[in-house]
Amino acid sequence: MSRKTQGLAPVGAATGLFLISVLAVLCACLSVLGVKLSNAPVLPLEQLIPLGVYVAGVPLALIWLKLIGWKGDAGLVGAVLLLSGMGLVIQFRMGSFSAGLSAPMALAPFPLGLAAFVVGVSLTGKGRGTWLAGAGWLAYLAALGVLAAMLVLGRRYRGGMYMPGNMNPSEIVKPLLVLFLAAYLSRRQKSFSETQNGIPVPPIYALLGLVLLWGVPMLLTIALKDLGLMVLLNAILIVMLFAIARSTGYLAIGLAVVTAAGFGVQFISSHAQARFDVWLNPFTDPTGKGWQILQAMSAMYSGGLWGAGLGSGVPQAVPIVSSDFIYAAAAEEIGLIGCGLLLLVYAVLFSRGFRAAGAARTPFERLLCVGLTGSLAVQTILNVAGVTKALPMTGITLPLISHGGSSLITTLLVAGLIVGLSDRK
Amino acid sequence: MLEILMDMLNGERGPDFLRALKIVFLAFLTIAALAIFFAPAVKPGKVNYWLLRVVVTGSLLAVLVYQATWQLLGFTKPEFVRFMRRYNKRPNAAEMQVTRGPILDRRGMVLAAPVAGDMWGRRYPLGEAAVHPLGYYHSKFGITAIERVCDPALSGFAPEKREDLLGKGLFAQRAEEGATVTLTLDARLQQKAYDLLEGRKGAVVIMRPHSGALLALVSSPGFDPLNPGPAILDEENSPAFNRAVQGRYPPGSTFKILIAGTALNRGLSPVYACPGMGYIAGPNTPPIRDSEYYAYERKGAEWPGWGRLTMKEAMTHSSNVYFAQLGVGCGPEAFNEMMVRARINEPLIYLKGDSGELQCSRGNVPEISKKRTLAQLAIGQGEVLVTPLHVACFTAAVASGGTMFRPRLCKNEPVEALVELFAPKTAEQLKAMLREAVVSGTGKPANIPELEVCGKTGTAQAPGGEDHAWFTCFAPRKHPNLVVTVLVEHGGFGAKSALPVARELIEEADRLGYVRQAEEVAK
Repeated sequence: MSRKTQGLAPVGAATGLFLISVLAVLCACLSVLGVKLSNAPVLPLEQLIPLGVYVAGVPLALIWLKLIGWKGDAGLVGAVLLLSGMGLVIQFRMGSFSAGLSAPMALAPFPLGLAAFVVGVSLTGKGRGTWLAGAGWLAYLAALGVLAAMLVLGRRYRGGMYMPGNMNPSEIVKPLLVLFLAAYLSRRQKSFSETQNGIPVPPIYALLGLVLLWGVPMLLTIALKDLGLMVLLNAILIVMLFAIARSTGYLAIGLAVVTAAGFGVQFISSHAQARFDVWLNPFTDPTGKGWQILQAMSAMYSGGLWGAGLGSGVPQAVPIVSSDFIYAAAAEEIGLIGCGLLLLVYAVLFSRGFRAAGAARTPFERLLCVGLTGSLAVQTILNVAGVTKALPMTGITLPLISHGGSSLITTLLVAGLIVGLSDRK
Repeated sequence: MLEILMDMLNGERGPDFLRALKIVFLAFLTIAALAIFFAPAVKPGKVNYWLLRVVVTGSLLAVLVYQATWQLLGFTKPEFVRFMRRYNKRPNAAEMQVTRGPILDRRGMVLAAPVAGDMWGRRYPLGEAAVHPLGYYHSKFGITAIERVCDPALSGFAPEKREDLLGKGLFAQRAEEGATVTLTLDARLQQKAYDLLEGRKGAVVIMRPHSGALLALVSSPGFDPLNPGPAILDEENSPAFNRAVQGRYPPGSTFKILIAGTALNRGLSPVYACPGMGYIAGPNTPPIRDSEYYAYERKGAEWPGWGRLTMKEAMTHSSNVYFAQLGVGCGPEAFNEMMVRARINEPLIYLKGDSGELQCSRGNVPEISKKRTLAQLAIGQGEVLVTPLHVACFTAAVASGGTMFRPRLCKNEPVEALVELFAPKTAEQLKAMLREAVVSGTGKPANIPELEVCGKTGTAQAPGGEDHAWFTCFAPRKHPNLVVTVLVEHGGFGAKSALPVARELIEEADRLGYVRQAEEVAK
């Protein structure tokens, strides 16, 4: 055992990071409360339940980590906890919990997510993750099942598919397919590592098999018209192919293919084309198609460098702000500075996730960790780039911060798996 | 405890309290982020995915930088500022508080001014007489013309203010007042020209030949800038259309100035026989005849023709037969070159604003390869189309001694010579011809002896009605200081409808001190 881990146990370090995060989150919460109170002098106790769970429940989770002897990357835990704490404050500020106990479904996601986080850590911690490889095919079938169920049962709402109860089960498809790919590719590491002059040339049967297997969920996402999910899944595939072959060729080819596909999809789907047009020139139809993104930009502009202060802005001016566009609300109230800090924390999360992947013992764990981290990273980049108009909108949520129960629970589960994988002993 | 907190928040110190909280929050967030960044990491393994880490971190950084171009520098994007001014719902948004700057004429007379306390309020003393160059600033119909291209300056986002806005944008985001835009127009001439058109469809351009400064830019009929709705919908009279710069008309005989200049630039000054029956350039081309032919025909007589004409005589009588031959004589190469130099097929820019340029429509002159097609074009008929601004500009080139200046509306735009359109000698000869055309030719009614008016009438065949009437002129001959170009749609003979307008405008301009000056004035 190295001196460093003797000096400061990972759980201890994580607890320290959590305590600092709590200070930031509480300040933010006070700021929101201050504005709310000056409008109506009633303490919204019920709305504070998720934050209460955060302050009281996270220590319990940390105690559990200590009990199972987790010795992973404390920075990962700190990043997850800080981001989810900020997410809770921002959702509290946006009024997502305003119905209080009369709408328990709105309050439940974080407690459930925290549980999912603990489950995730326990599943993969201490090098236990290898057994998951056996569940690869099961995960594949489950993913197909979820997609098919959505196709049959889902209702279309604002361009996305939702199941009864306003759930969006497509969130779970991502980790399921990552698990499948990790299991499938790690057994075929040799085939997919073959390159000629830097260009990957896997044997044709291996390639054909992958294309056929991958084609089924792709066709289902096309049938669901879920452009964001399709882009995300393919980005994950590319990252994982790169990770197994460790050839930049996959990354280059993948980037080219995804760009071309993103460009080409507008010719197939009018929905995608509209998003593309808005991205290129939002001012041709400022009060129609360009309205949401331009309101988001206006929110950011009025936030400036320092922000209006949490609770003091008017992010409600942006349509459906608490879901896909939550980043615009954050930009208005915590400013470019605050956004920069949030993105820094995201960058640390992903960077450490990839580092943990590199340190994993088996190819399967390595791939699993790369895929899970990659899925969160791509999701974050696509969301933030879409809201700031750096890229077209893809309708993807911002991990840990966007409103949406299924998204938060799934993200925390994924985060838990990554945190577990960072502990390889 | 809640009550104490409430009192604090609602009291005078409430905002300070929130601000302090904001600073403390950002400080804690920074500490937390840095602590996470520096937290002990797991030992690196044998595989290093540094490329993924670099790509992901780099992408996030790139997005943040792009975000900053909107979040901090959004005010440099005029369309964005315009959007926010209209649709930003934040009550104390910076762009709402700016008092829009006024637009003044060259003497400081108000052409457009803000209305106190009304964000969209605007006062236009000249009303419909100046609506075309000024445009309108309307909460429903948007922003047009000068109001549009000078919008950043008028609304306080002008480039020269960017630096201090950057400072303020970062901390308080406040701009106080929009800049003043001063034009080269003279409100009195603008109003007079509009009145003289008496609601007829037409246009007037008055400019300084030595600088391109526009003293009046009038299109008729006008419309109320405070209520542009009906004008936009009126397709029959299309009052929203700026005829002076967007209207494209056959130039008729005013084009002969350019044809004569083309020949003279090349040292050609031929004498042609001009028979009464006209001139036929080639097989399957209709004869080109003088207008006198038709006048005689109506009386049942036969026009004997002018006989042999020099260029000066031909200009005086505006002989189509002569100029058709001259055009053919010049040949396609010389003609095409002149059209390029005179920028007929180009939009002339008459205002360079912070957020775009105002420019006239392109004229239309086909590229000529056959000599005989020149017969029609040389008399300003056939496929050739120009805007009144184009005609004013080449007339001004004669007046200035050969140089064509870029027309300009904004007083602080620099004078810009576009091209040496005519050789100095050519310009002198043209001046003499145009003077003669007023003294004894078609432009006679414009002869104000003490002002030495030089000019050319034009009568251009127009589809669906009477001919378009042109008169383009400058004065005085010795030191030309004023160019007036008048177009009246379907006005019949140029001398009949367009010329009197120009004459009165020259007289008015003289009363205002623009014409008889001891030297050539560039201002």
